[in-house]
Amino acid sequence: MASIELDRVSKIYANGAYGVRDVDLKIEDGEFVIFLGPSGCGKSTTLRMIAGLESISAGELRIGGRSVNGVAPRDRNIAVVFQSYALYPHMSVWHNMAFGLKMRGVSSSEIETKVAGAADLLGLGHLLQRKPGALSGGQRQRVALGRAIVREPEAFLLDEPLSNLDAQLRAEMRLELVKLHRRLGRTIVHVTHDQVEAMTMGDRICIMKDGRLIQHGRPLDVYANPADTFVARFLATPPMNLVGAQLEHEGEDLVVRVDAETRLTVPRKHYLPYVHKAGGPITAGIRAEDIYETQAHPEWQRISVKVVAVEALGAENVLIGMVGRDKPVEIQARLGRHFFAPVDSTVDLYVDVEPMHLFDAETGKVVARPPLPVGR
Amino acid sequence: MRKFGLHFGLILACVVVLLPPLWALRTSFVPESMSYSTEILPAFTLDNYAGLFEKNRFGTFYVNSLIVALGSVVLALPFAACTGYAFARFRTGGRFARFVVLATQMLPPVALVLPAFALLRGAGLTNSLPGLILVYSALNLPFLTWILMGFFEGVPVDMEWAAQTDGATAWGAFWRIVVPVSLPGIAAAGVLGFILSWNEFLFALVLSGPQTATIPVSLAALQTSNGVQIAKVSAGVVLAILPLVIASRFIQRFIIQGLTFGGVK
Repeated sequence: MASIELDRVSKIYANGAYGVRDVDLKIEDGEFVIFLGPSGCGKSTTLRMIAGLESISAGELRIGGRSVNGVAPRDRNIAVVFQSYALYPHMSVWHNMAFGLKMRGVSSSEIETKVAGAADLLGLGHLLQRKPGALSGGQRQRVALGRAIVREPEAFLLDEPLSNLDAQLRAEMRLELVKLHRRLGRTIVHVTHDQVEAMTMGDRICIMKDGRLIQHGRPLDVYANPADTFVARFLATPPMNLVGAQLEHEGEDLVVRVDAETRLTVPRKHYLPYVHKAGGPITAGIRAEDIYETQAHPEWQRISVKVVAVEALGAENVLIGMVGRDKPVEIQARLGRHFFAPVDSTVDLYVDVEPMHLFDAETGKVVARPPLPVGR
Repeated sequence: MRKFGLHFGLILACVVVLLPPLWALRTSFVPESMSYSTEILPAFTLDNYAGLFEKNRFGTFYVNSLIVALGSVVLALPFAACTGYAFARFRTGGRFARFVVLATQMLPPVALVLPAFALLRGAGLTNSLPGLILVYSALNLPFLTWILMGFFEGVPVDMEWAAQTDGATAWGAFWRIVVPVSLPGIAAAGVLGFILSWNEFLFALVLSGPQTATIPVSLAALQTSNGVQIAKVSAGVVLAILPLVIASRFIQRFIIQGLTFGGVK
């Protein structure tokens, strides 16, 4: 059993600065968890604390129910795959993979069998005698994984293992890792700053910022219901459009008013959760894919957008434009691949307001409303 | 034309650097009486070399130098590796400790030679090779520590972490991963330490005796009341630089790799 529990875990450096602050999280046995966040958010530090490579300043870490705060990395039965792969350059692939087994006193016949098995699984059979220097990036990546797999650890900790690969190889390795997880059924903690990895690979994503765990949950749930503007913007490309506005009463309705021209009526079912914010500033969050070039639904609401650029990506076109007259705000919309508009022209677009979120203008925290069902 | 100028300059620089050792090489094969001749090779003889070994016990001093230089490197290198690693990885002692290590190199050797003599005399180690080895090890230690610290700082810590999660202790990660990975640097440091000890004169002069003199001391002894025996000195110089030439031939790539190790990531 290798559940991993972080109980108010913190990392405080000698100068008093927090690297990680009060992280509370329980990772179930066999779960694939993604730590996502920008550089310096503390995700790698958290991973290293789980591995035992970084001391824990406060809080408790339990692996399989056992407190491991003072336990050396070698006694935690976890494997780490590093961003730099950290292969031993003076050893052949075979010796790289066998090193961990040798350190644990495994018999040489068993080492032979296990290394051959892992090499087979990862397609490394023909490379076993080579040194890491003679391997491509993708092959090194596989060796690093092989070195981890061969020991059959209780949990794998992956520290941005795909970030040094080119786009195509990265996509392949994403799939391989997911398959590997299904096959081995072990706990995996994967650290990344890549949203695609975060959205596609894990059972759960944990979003970190400034050393704090801001939000965690199933990827699509987090995507649909971000806790604050940071998560809202970070978890998508293009990022969620955030538009400063006033929330006002208008007859029976609540209206998000950007300026005299640009206004969006809040759906009736969100009236109650939002009404206490009426009469003040608000930040409206609209995903780029919730903006359309035609009104296919009567509840979608029109906005005028001045076109800045249209990026044709093949499968879709991303329009970058400005809304609002007094203080124009840039927004991005994912439109059909046949949509084109000349630069500087003004076009009417239609916003599906149901998934729209409102955020506190000061704190950036989401104004709570019933979560949006995923896959509606 | 520019290329010609460049090559001319380079050739001139080579001549300036190479002329003294080449002249020493030439003089070592010329009889003493003709050593100041302006001819390139007025006569050829091996008497100077033979004389060094027969009359001046050069063989003994040569072996002494080898023992002392190798012994001091072998003794100092493991300590320097551990200290350098501690400075590099754990910041042991902070900046102050690093400065102190460097500061010892700023003292003029003559300030150390008399205290060293007093210490060795107390221990009964003057006029002995172990005494010289100890002193040279102590002199080499800060220098080697400083060089190795640079190498170890260049070894990615991920590699040690990988070894530790693979089941190695901190010492195991150092011994099995860091040391083998840093071998070029350790070899470079060893060669530089060997050269320093091999060439050292002042301490050898004060601390050694007739049986334990090293090459630099024995070369100086060729300055007799009858004047400097320049042909013999030349032969001695040629023999003295021989191990350095051989070492640099084989270790050149390590030194170059070593000296650029920190800069290239």
